[in-house]
Amino acid sequence: MQLLNDNEKINELGLYQGQGKLGKRFLSFATAFVITLSMLPLFYLIVRAIQRPFEQTADLLLRDKTFEVVGTTALLVVLVVVLTGIFGLAIASGLHFVELPLKPLLIIPAFLPLAIPSYVFTYTWIALIPGFSGFFAAVFILTLTTLPYVTLACLAGFRRVNSSQIEVARSLGLNYPTTFLRVVLPQIRGHLSGGLLLAGLYSMSDFGAVSLLNVDTLTVTIQNMYRASYDRTAAAVMSLVLIFLSALFVIGDEKIRQKNMKTKVINTLSIRGELIQKLSYQIAIMVIIFTYTLLAVLVPIYVLLTRFISNPIAIKWDMVFSASISTVSVALFGAAIAMVLSIPIGILFSEESTLLTRATNRIILIGHALPGVVIGLALVSFSSRFDLIYQTTFLLAFAYALLFLAKSVATMSSSLAQVPSGAKEVAATLGLSRWAVLKNVVAPISSPGIALGTTLVFLTAMKELPATLMLRPTGFETLATQIWSYAAINRFNEAAPYALILIAIAAIPTFILSRPDQADRIQLSQGFGS
Amino acid sequence: MASIEIKNLDVSLGNKKVLDNLSLNLGSGQIAALLGPSGCGKTTLLRAIAGLLQPTAGTIRFDKQLVSLSSLVLPAHKRKIGYVPQDGALFPHLNVEKNIAFGLDKSSLTKMQIKQIVKEMLALIDLVGFEKRMPNQLSGGQQTRVALARALAVKPAMILLDEPFSALDAQLRIDLRADVIKLLRSQNTTAILVTHDREEALVSADQLALMQNGRIIQQGPPEQVYSSPNSATTAISTGDALVLKARKFSDGKTDYLFSPINLNSSDLETGEVVIRPEEIKISADAAHGMITGQINKIDYYGHDAMISINVADNLLQVRIPGPLDFKVGQKVGLTHVGPIRFFAHS
Amino acid sequence: MLRKYLKPITMRSMKRWLIAAGLSSLLLSLTVGCSAQNESSPELTIYSGRSEDFIAPFLAAWQDNSGVKLNIRYGDSAELAVQILEEGDNSPADLFLAQDAGSLGAISAAGLFTPIANDVATLIPTKYIAKNREWIGLTARARVFAYDPNKIKTLPLSISDLIKPIYKNQLAIAPTNASFQAFVTAMINSNGIDFSRNWLAAIKANGVKIYAKNSAIVEAIDKGEVSIGLVNHYYIWEVSEALGRELNVINGFFAPGDIGNLINVSGIGILKSSDKVDLAKGLIDFLASSEIQKKFVSDTHEYSLIDNQSAPTGLPTLAEIGSPNVDLGLLKDVKTTQDLLIEVGLL
Repeated sequence: MQLLNDNEKINELGLYQGQGKLGKRFLSFATAFVITLSMLPLFYLIVRAIQRPFEQTADLLLRDKTFEVVGTTALLVVLVVVLTGIFGLAIASGLHFVELPLKPLLIIPAFLPLAIPSYVFTYTWIALIPGFSGFFAAVFILTLTTLPYVTLACLAGFRRVNSSQIEVARSLGLNYPTTFLRVVLPQIRGHLSGGLLLAGLYSMSDFGAVSLLNVDTLTVTIQNMYRASYDRTAAAVMSLVLIFLSALFVIGDEKIRQKNMKTKVINTLSIRGELIQKLSYQIAIMVIIFTYTLLAVLVPIYVLLTRFISNPIAIKWDMVFSASISTVSVALFGAAIAMVLSIPIGILFSEESTLLTRATNRIILIGHALPGVVIGLALVSFSSRFDLIYQTTFLLAFAYALLFLAKSVATMSSSLAQVPSGAKEVAATLGLSRWAVLKNVVAPISSPGIALGTTLVFLTAMKELPATLMLRPTGFETLATQIWSYAAINRFNEAAPYALILIAIAAIPTFILSRPDQADRIQLSQGFGS
Repeated sequence: MASIEIKNLDVSLGNKKVLDNLSLNLGSGQIAALLGPSGCGKTTLLRAIAGLLQPTAGTIRFDKQLVSLSSLVLPAHKRKIGYVPQDGALFPHLNVEKNIAFGLDKSSLTKMQIKQIVKEMLALIDLVGFEKRMPNQLSGGQQTRVALARALAVKPAMILLDEPFSALDAQLRIDLRADVIKLLRSQNTTAILVTHDREEALVSADQLALMQNGRIIQQGPPEQVYSSPNSATTAISTGDALVLKARKFSDGKTDYLFSPINLNSSDLETGEVVIRPEEIKISADAAHGMITGQINKIDYYGHDAMISINVADNLLQVRIPGPLDFKVGQKVGLTHVGPIRFFAHS
Repeated sequence: MLRKYLKPITMRSMKRWLIAAGLSSLLLSLTVGCSAQNESSPELTIYSGRSEDFIAPFLAAWQDNSGVKLNIRYGDSAELAVQILEEGDNSPADLFLAQDAGSLGAISAAGLFTPIANDVATLIPTKYIAKNREWIGLTARARVFAYDPNKIKTLPLSISDLIKPIYKNQLAIAPTNASFQAFVTAMINSNGIDFSRNWLAAIKANGVKIYAKNSAIVEAIDKGEVSIGLVNHYYIWEVSEALGRELNVINGFFAPGDIGNLINVSGIGILKSSDKVDLAKGLIDFLASSEIQKKFVSDTHEYSLIDNQSAPTGLPTLAEIGSPNVDLGLLKDVKTTQDLLIEVGLL
């Protein structure tokens, strides 16, 4: 009898463990599935690259031009990273630490450039300054375009720094700049590095700006290989070079993050400190933000508006309208898919850091540096075998999800990691099932972060062009494709309304992105005075 | 070590006046406890002393030296103050050693000197051997001690402690508190300790300052504040107290529960009499005492006990030492043996 | 005020997002599904490297005439060609309409076109049809020099004249542009690589101005930044229409037979993977018909390929221009050209 009882107990226990295992197995399976999907472009490139005779590949890799192009790309990325680092930190710390008039209104222009595609940016600057081109023009444009990524990341980092640490440092005799350097900066290294990684990968993968400005980067070379000689194998080899470059970058970021891992936040109690009221800081920050607003928001919108107003040709508003609807719905769909795909990976990442999770993270991030054309072609190559999905909105949305998966995975895993494991355990002891814990504890805590990542994907997907051109259903027009088709025949005036509408629509998620900061501030100011 | 003199200090956060015409004096080398309910402005006062916020009016002087005049303030980093916030606020990216050495001036001290100071500090807080630990590898008490060492390492003119022990469990708290006070006294450091724990305030301080609604309502040595409160409110905030309705006649006689006077006179003040629970003697003989009551409830604590007694419509709480042989329901005689502290209604 | 709109993101708003995303995707799949359901009426899928603005009215006319529904995918000719190469036998396209002979040549070289029967597009001269009849030319554009008549009094007779001192700092080119690269490719093929290298180096030494696009050159001449530029003939109309006014720029041609007068064609081919060859042939016949060719000339200012058709207003006929003898199929590989342009420092 006793034996039987024990067996029963073991059975019960086994059943429970079995459930856990099943969940884990499902997670691993789902993760493997997502990884396979995100490796499609890499797989495609390798297949194409090995079709090329070895000597030809060697020739291609070793010719002077290749070194030149890699050098140009690397220098461009480094300069953009340095500049966005400096200005991103400046703007973010201004917005976070310094007392500024009308702060909510200042936050908006700091993020609004996210709503403007880099090709639109470039068109408007070329329209404003004829002959605007070359390497430094590209550095300028890409810095303006990617700055919000860094600002956003730094702000998120600043919010994690306990303000009483700053007060202690101040009481220990440090002035603001040294406090910033010795206390704040070391703690947000991970966030800063993440933001710079996004900016860097964006600059690496950008085609619109560099091609319009006549800068020979890797993406331009890749595109030229397709266009000049329809040479897909050479393009694949160069794409792999690009992947190699971005891998270096990703690994560098990882090293910084690992260093930061040691400095886990030890407590979450945080009162918001006094905002700095030094006039010199206030003026400096205002000048930076105003200059940025002028260059990155007012100039493009001014140029587009003048083009729009001076356009003598009647605008087809029904086309504008239907393109807007298409853009929003397919981008929304893509963002939703990205969110779903990043759930299993996010859960794995938030729970443990293993060789596997790190490798997965790398793969997802590295894919981020590929120009849309390469990912587009990879998906064309695979999906054209399947009539049912090829050139459907589903495929396009799916492509968006893959293209921007890194954005949603990063926010997903960090938001899930925010859920204290204690809270999960307490909930479990209160009799909640795994599902109920997920629903009542994990989801409410992590949803703001997840929504943020999803919004970011939505925003980027709306602006996406090269993959959209290839994968959209025939006859399906988005705002981006319309801008492209008018710009391709030099009808900038007619492209202007589409660009303006795109910016207006993209501004909405941009507001949402700048919102959590606002919410934090409101919440924290209530915790004053205790 | 410096003395502090605060005069008519006003601090507003947003539209809310958090410190209101606050004044406080503290001699050099003294330890003051700042006691008050949460939300009364204790932390704000500390931050104002540290120079972390801008008052709207009033002055703060360290050793007669003006550091804050209305909204003109000497910035925090020039005040030479040790600040230990509520959570310790160790720098999570630095290990124990680097946290302690954080405020030391690297241009005027040699590496060896810094090392020496850190070593002394570690010995002082009894954490030798923890140099390389990261803050998240320390217990709450250890974190507090490191935070204290970090503040003391720079030999500050004074040290400000914001409820440093609140997160600790009872025994650890008592031990650490004793250690810290000993440490502060050995260094002869002027210190202000913010707390909402009455016992902590009474035990630790040379000076006890009671705060309420942004003001200091009474300041003095702990015994004095405890035994001679200047209002019923201050009495309650320093310990258990019975507040009884009372009338005081112009001839000095007081009408209250223990000595009822049935007299109708217009020449009187109405108010309250405050009695500490230990000032009531209880006798098993119901006839032996100023008044009689019936035991309602006994809370036994070992070293003493709190007995709740019904007298007319009042429920009195009486503290008696050690073993006792009273029962619930028993009739007892009660005598008030302390001073009659009468506070008139204003 | 603003705070009201800046509410923190809650679970509920997340749900709303999800629902919106789900609904919109449903809506989309429905609309896509609808077009697939209409199986009774025949459909053709065209990948068009010609821009919508130019070609859509013609395709719409055929759709109305024939009752065949057209699904048109607009894009860049070269990119669409690469996409077709990638799709291979699975391409959903029936027809590929390209801006230039090069893109058509790439598809042909990959063996993805099917030869077009002799009875199709009979009016188009054989020199504008691929030798294996895998694609058929539809319209032509000429390389010209656009110039400011007030400033340029001595017109160049040959591209070699452009290196003379009288054109110093006057000439504009767009070396990143596909049509300029096609011209250089033709020059390499007919005059040799050394000649081409020397010529490019010489115009560079003569202070040639670089622009990103043909249209930018025309605008620059109109504004007086430069006086003469190598472009395609129709850009004067294009820029003039976009700006809504007349320009102070006119087209000029070199002496007959000069490589500077290169004629490039747009063309169309039927993909091997198509199972609607007959319908596709009908469309090609329509586009190659005399009536439509006339409209190409009047509406898009291109040259018709049919003999004896009139030229765009104010321009000489193709015969009068005297285009150089170049195999257009060879223009597909501009790799050498780009390397050369890089070598002389124009790219």
